[in-house]
Amino acid sequence: MADTHSDTGVSPVIVVGPRARRPCHDHGRDARVTQGGMPGSRRSRHLPVSRILLAYAAAFALVSCNNDKIEVYLIPKQGVTVAMQSGSAGLQPPPPSNPAKWVKPEGWNEQPLSEMRLGSFKVDGPNATSGDVSVTAFPGDAGGLAPNVNRWRSQLQLPALAEDQLQQSIQRIEVGGVPTYLVDIQTPENAPKPARILGAVLDTSDRVWFVKMTGSPDLIESQREKFLDFVKSFRFTAVTDGQAPETGSSNKPKSTNDK
Amino acid sequence: MTSELARWLKPITSLKLTIFCLACAMVLVFVGTLDQVHIGVFEAENRYFKSFFLFFTPPHTDLRIPWFPGGYIVGSLLLVNLIAAHIARFRLSWKKAGILLLHSGLILLLVGQLFADLFVDLESQMRLDQGQTKNYSESLYYDELAVIDTTDPDSDRVISIPDSRLHHGSKIDLPVDALQVVVNEYYSNSALISQDQLPSPNYPHLRVGPMAVAVQLEKTYKENERNLPSAGVSIFQNGQLIGTWSLAAGFPRPVSFQVGGKGYQIVLRPKRFYKPFAVQLLQFRHDRYAGTDVAKNFSSRIRLLDPAKHEDRESLIFMNNPLRYRGYTFYQAGFDNNDTTTVLQVAQNPSWLVPYISCGLIVVGMLLQFGMHLFSFVKRRVIA
Repeated sequence: MADTHSDTGVSPVIVVGPRARRPCHDHGRDARVTQGGMPGSRRSRHLPVSRILLAYAAAFALVSCNNDKIEVYLIPKQGVTVAMQSGSAGLQPPPPSNPAKWVKPEGWNEQPLSEMRLGSFKVDGPNATSGDVSVTAFPGDAGGLAPNVNRWRSQLQLPALAEDQLQQSIQRIEVGGVPTYLVDIQTPENAPKPARILGAVLDTSDRVWFVKMTGSPDLIESQREKFLDFVKSFRFTAVTDGQAPETGSSNKPKSTNDK
Repeated sequence: MTSELARWLKPITSLKLTIFCLACAMVLVFVGTLDQVHIGVFEAENRYFKSFFLFFTPPHTDLRIPWFPGGYIVGSLLLVNLIAAHIARFRLSWKKAGILLLHSGLILLLVGQLFADLFVDLESQMRLDQGQTKNYSESLYYDELAVIDTTDPDSDRVISIPDSRLHHGSKIDLPVDALQVVVNEYYSNSALISQDQLPSPNYPHLRVGPMAVAVQLEKTYKENERNLPSAGVSIFQNGQLIGTWSLAAGFPRPVSFQVGGKGYQIVLRPKRFYKPFAVQLLQFRHDRYAGTDVAKNFSSRIRLLDPAKHEDRESLIFMNNPLRYRGYTFYQAGFDNNDTTTVLQVAQNPSWLVPYISCGLIVVGMLLQFGMHLFSFVKRRVIA
């Protein structure tokens, strides 16, 4: 701000407008420089928009609230309800979460689970071979015992067997009060890749559990006892949660505003 | 010092600013209303009014360039302008009483709504079957990926990841147990169909169950439709893969897994807002006028359970008669399943009384102001 009066001892007052003792060509400069000065003085007319915007940009930066936060909180224990959103009626409910406990044998390595597998293990055998153990469960009767055993047979290039023929090759035991069917099948003689499957089908009240071990015949032989111990260790917890999905309403929920 | 401050404040008291803000507000309302046709009420509200700026994205880029002030800036500028103008030209006199009251009402209204907007839960919904008890409500628009620690026998610890964080390839570190969630795939809207309905075996999909697959859909903005996302996620602990699952919000079944002796569940579901109390539906009634199908009344007889406050009472919620409890308001909003399910709208608005008070102030202020003018005018006529 040009203030040429300070050296004369006059207090540095902001001089506005065409006061005396100023060369004419300085008027414009003074007017611009001395905005919003003393009341009653001629003020600049335009709004310092830049200052307002700057202030608000600063406020904006401070206030930008982040709605992306991960929240962590405690709630009282919930019973699990599998509720169907309307619109997806008619689909089979997938197997619910894991209400079974088992004892993992020594030497079996836990593997990452997936939506199909409730338990997954890898067993290292001699000669760098490995075996695979899977635990799955499906609601209802899961298609029946015979079709599932025949499915396993087809995986080893074995022909399917009729129901009564199958019954002869299946061993029946009880695990924790649950009827269990044991199967032991092997690829046919002179198969290019010999393989063997040990299978256990556990028939609980609301679903069927399948425990299946696949590997080379030697490996399976060495693991047979452990497999049986594993199957016998299964214990099923009571299903307390309301598992039945809300059936009905392929219509959307109605609003009380609808006519 | 104060002259410097005064110089800063002067433009804020300007009437030109008021006009500018009102003009911006008109533009926002106009453009927002037109756009609502395409993007729906909720999205329009968020974009035009619950925002600081309107953004423009140039084609083929991800930039968001602000090109116009949004609702928050216009509203707060108006508020500051009004308050500053009053401070600058403050003159307590009876003549100005009407205007002061009027403007106070307006200021209260703006402040109340701003407060409600910034600090309050979203509106949510509580859907109850007959006899069902719930202590949470669900969001109509937002979903969450919830990782729940179920180890403790008395309580569950919920880690809720908002759906805004879920994108293809996101890696999210959880604040507990060195867990990391990796999102392999995310459909912001999806439909659940059976496997044989896929157009081709290679059509991108997520296997959500033995029979069901999820396919991607366009995000919907329609009033009555809800986006149901699906996600393929993997959980890691200290870099080790624990499991990979496909989850669908349309079919929110929690998947259990164990990590280091602790039990966990993971589920993709509508975002839940838990309450410190529970509501049980005793009976939903859909009364019709005798002999017709025209609705006469919708009502839900509910039981309110709050052990901490020793509350266990029944209450009737019906049209225009909501239940107000602990800052929440429960309205009768809808029904389903042949009148056996009720849908309650849950709102949380601590400043719900503010619009009533501020409208009252504005009315009194107007009456006072125009009354005084009328009185002085009549007096002048009588004298003249």
